[in-house]
Amino acid sequence: MASRVLAQCVRQLPRSSVRLSSGNFAVRTAAVPVLFNPRPLSFIASSQRTRWIEQTRISSSVGVFCRQYGDLPPLTIESIKERVMYVLKLYDKINPEKLATSSHFLKDLGLDSLDQVEIIMAMEDEFGFEIPDVEAEKLMSPQDIVQYIADKKDVYE
Amino acid sequence: MANPLRREVRQLYKNLLYLGREYPQGADYFRERLNCAFMKNKDVTDPKEIRKLVDCGEVVIKELGTLYYLREYRTMKKRFYEEELLGLLNIGRPID
Repeated sequence: MASRVLAQCVRQLPRSSVRLSSGNFAVRTAAVPVLFNPRPLSFIASSQRTRWIEQTRISSSVGVFCRQYGDLPPLTIESIKERVMYVLKLYDKINPEKLATSSHFLKDLGLDSLDQVEIIMAMEDEFGFEIPDVEAEKLMSPQDIVQYIADKKDVYE
Repeated sequence: MANPLRREVRQLYKNLLYLGREYPQGADYFRERLNCAFMKNKDVTDPKEIRKLVDCGEVVIKELGTLYYLREYRTMKKRFYEEELLGLLNIGRPID
């Protein structure tokens, strides 16, 4: 009985992988690159086992069972930093030569608190989520912004 | 500047910026004027004065809201009513 259950489980596993690779249902029961543990299979009738061994073809596209959903590419700290610096360079009140990741908006770049509000708004537009005022007040350098966005978007390295 | 007031001024500036994006004469024009208006009152330290200015700002927000609403109303009327009927109703005047 355990073998039957196991066989059923094993048979169900490659179904999702086969949909990904091709519609060939002859490969259905056999595209299992992982589970070739001989011990439970010994309980299965020998005819079935030979069929399995014959038809085992490792579908190269499926080493890991994965589903592919539509989404943006995952954020990395590098990409966040690039985007933040790019947006800052486009801002006309900032001198792009003086801009560095650790430059303070008010002290180093000579900006105003109102300009800082505008910068945070530009970041909200770029990354597509709202930054509440309480936390926006504290973001005073590009490094702070990168850190904040990484925290909010669960990006760790 | 007292902290709650500072926050309110920021909030006001932010709201005005969001509204100014759709300003008919251009978002940049609006931003320039907004900046000038805020910079003029940069050195005001009396909380009552600040409160008054913030209220002025709120009035401006209301006015912008009505402006956009009216603009929307007028375009919709123009689109869905025929010319003669518009003339009768006196709506869709060339002021917009």
